[in-house]
Amino acid sequence: MSAVLRLALLEARRDRGILAAWILCIAGLGYAAATAVTTQFAGDNERAALISVAAASPAFLFLRGLPDVISSGAVTFFQGYSFTAVLAGLMSVFLVVRHTRGDEDQGRFELVGSTRVTRVTSLYATLLFGTFTNVVLALVAAAGFIRAGLPVPGSFLAGSAVGAVGLFFMAAAALVAQVMPSARSANGTAAALVGGAYLVRGAGDALGTADSSLLHVTAAWPSLFSPIGWGQRIRPFTEVDTLPLLVIGAGTVVLAGAAVALRNGRDLGAGYIAADESGPERAGSGLASMLGLAWRLQRGSLASWCLTTAALGAVAGGLGPVVRDALAGNPSVAELLSRIVPGDAGLIDLFTAAMLGIAGILAAAAGIEAVLRLRAEEAEGRAELLLAAPVSRMRWLGGTLAVAAISTTAVAAAAGASAAVVLALAQAGGSSPGMVFAAALAHIPAALVFPAVTVLVFALAPRWSSAVGWGALAAALVLGQFGELLGLPGWLQDLSPFRHSSAMPVEAFHPEGALVLAAVALIAAGAASHLIRGRDLTV
Amino acid sequence: MHADPSPVINTSRLAKNFGRTAALAGLDLSVLPGEVHGFLGPNGAGKSTTLRILLGLIRPTSGTARVFGIDPWAEPVRAHKDVAYVPGDVTLWPNLTGGEVIDLIAGLRGGADEGLRRQLIDEFDFDPRKKARTYSKGNRQKAALIAAFSRPAMLYLLDEPSSGLDPVMDAVFRRHIRRVAADGATVLLSSHILAEVEQLCDRVTIIRAGAAVESGTLAELRHLTRIRFRVTSAVKPEEMATWRGIHDLRVNGTAIEFDADAADLGYVLDALATAGITGITAAPPSLEELFMRHYGVQAGRQAGRQAGRQASHKSQAQ
Repeated sequence: MSAVLRLALLEARRDRGILAAWILCIAGLGYAAATAVTTQFAGDNERAALISVAAASPAFLFLRGLPDVISSGAVTFFQGYSFTAVLAGLMSVFLVVRHTRGDEDQGRFELVGSTRVTRVTSLYATLLFGTFTNVVLALVAAAGFIRAGLPVPGSFLAGSAVGAVGLFFMAAAALVAQVMPSARSANGTAAALVGGAYLVRGAGDALGTADSSLLHVTAAWPSLFSPIGWGQRIRPFTEVDTLPLLVIGAGTVVLAGAAVALRNGRDLGAGYIAADESGPERAGSGLASMLGLAWRLQRGSLASWCLTTAALGAVAGGLGPVVRDALAGNPSVAELLSRIVPGDAGLIDLFTAAMLGIAGILAAAAGIEAVLRLRAEEAEGRAELLLAAPVSRMRWLGGTLAVAAISTTAVAAAAGASAAVVLALAQAGGSSPGMVFAAALAHIPAALVFPAVTVLVFALAPRWSSAVGWGALAAALVLGQFGELLGLPGWLQDLSPFRHSSAMPVEAFHPEGALVLAAVALIAAGAASHLIRGRDLTV
Repeated sequence: MHADPSPVINTSRLAKNFGRTAALAGLDLSVLPGEVHGFLGPNGAGKSTTLRILLGLIRPTSGTARVFGIDPWAEPVRAHKDVAYVPGDVTLWPNLTGGEVIDLIAGLRGGADEGLRRQLIDEFDFDPRKKARTYSKGNRQKAALIAAFSRPAMLYLLDEPSSGLDPVMDAVFRRHIRRVAADGATVLLSSHILAEVEQLCDRVTIIRAGAAVESGTLAELRHLTRIRFRVTSAVKPEEMATWRGIHDLRVNGTAIEFDADAADLGYVLDALATAGITGITAAPPSLEELFMRHYGVQAGRQAGRQAGRQASHKSQAQ
């Protein structure tokens, strides 16, 4: 037991900075949402208006969750829960994989494994530390809600809902880490599970039925297959139900138990899915250039990104008929919508635009990930091998930049294509497939700004590139999803590149915005290619 | 050999600071065409930093570095045109095979010589079909060595290249150093393995705490140093210890061991002959001893601690 505690303390020592940042960001988001609701929407009428608009819009239901009457706490939970739960899930996934397969892949585990510990000691330590982290997260989030003036019992329950989702994905990641062939694939798979849980909950909520007051929506069955959906059922500020907490807890225990059992039966550094250990003896012509190498390193990851966004696009398209029926079956919704939606954009178009906005975020993420490979190459010493050959830094950077641009474009196109095709097959009406596809492509210039900024930071301050790249994307996501709610000043919201891309098919395409964004991306990338020559290679 | 050759590598008062740590503090290094130059020093003395500056990967804080007369920071591509490099800590792309890595690196330099590539893979007993993630440290090093040797270069920069090789593979490595040297290539071999340098190198530069403390042929370095004597004699050790030029005298069984300054050899031999001896051996110091003399002191320990800090810094990077 003392070995478990020692190892858990070691993990805490290694992670204290990054986890403090995660917890403060997640709890801060909840606090900001709560403050916005209690100050900007202080009156019952204001909150009722906000909620009924949301209840009428499947896009809102899909992205946010279920409106649940109009108390400040309930509105906060509706606005903030899904995103904070996803973040808690991702935090837990990265934590677990870092301390399990990550340490094994880096060779650090052997030092620990050679001491008087069993094969599973370190896994217990990671689970203990992950549990502790999520408990702290729950408490800090609850403190934020209370500080913002929400009722105390509800605040604790809401914090617990977020922490419980984190715990569940901690255990799920521990299981995935036993199965996958490498830390990288474990991270990708477990993070995809978090995204999948969000999507499934979104589908269940979008399919949900609103009561006649339009202030409360009940989720449909798909949400039962998502731990995030279960967490939402706690309803901390209205009719509290603690059964979902027990369900999530039970799931956590089962998954963690399975992870421990599997850990006992496997070799160090090897998952149950075996890694491909051999390959071609000679390099193909693809590896003759920096572009070819960058493509080779990124292609597997790019395929996963494209599949993920294609799934998102398919869900968006497939929900078309639901969206249409929501309108047809509920005249009060139709009437409400005609008042809130400018112009004559249809509900389906609104929904499509919202979904493709998320696809744009994912496209940016794929580009950032591609660019950050440069940092890994540098820090792990492989860049040295390349740059010792007669290869200029500009060529080295350029190959990866091209692949990052291709990644961003491909991910957006995959989402647009699948949304267009599925929407057309569903015959729900709405815009033409061509228009839907174009709507996805319209986000590419804004998305490209993110890899471009990331590479600029890489050229100037390489150790910060990962934090700034992902931080910028998180900031843009918060600005886009919460900017209006939080009542942030216009100039601050305008900092997000996505504010300047056209939300087709609701809005018309503005070429000026796209051109300015593309120019910003090009200038940043060009500056990076030049500046990269001016600094030391840094481990 | 060369009448008035301009050096292939030339550094002058080269300094490099990382934050408050001075990794190099005024290093002068000159490597002539066609020589195998040993670059000897303990961990953290600044060997890798020097090589990285020579490759244009990092910029010197002050001083100059020239490779083929070119400033590698300003014109890295031109300076690297004919350089093969093996880093001290080889990391490869986990999902490429060893063969692909060799082709990639050699390809960037212009393409491998097929015959050499095959021969090297064969001699190093290397499996090029395995993914790099499965390779041990020694195998990763082999991949980098094969990539370096599979295309002739004018200059080989090797950073502790054999530290992960077993003795048999080490012999293969030494054979190929001799081969490229015979072909007229220049080699800068950084090492803390003395036997390697003793066997391979024409000249040696010893670096400590970021500066060269000694440079020359092995013969020249020995000339500067003491000779180790072991004698059996009726003379009392206490008396012998008072002789001029005698250091570190100690009694070892029936024998007396001491070091003598090269400049005082005549005097010591005369004194020994006069006093009468029944047995004597005298040997030049091994490089090992030269090394200990330079690093077995306080300054050496301090350099070692700096190395420790740098190493932990390296391992933190992901």
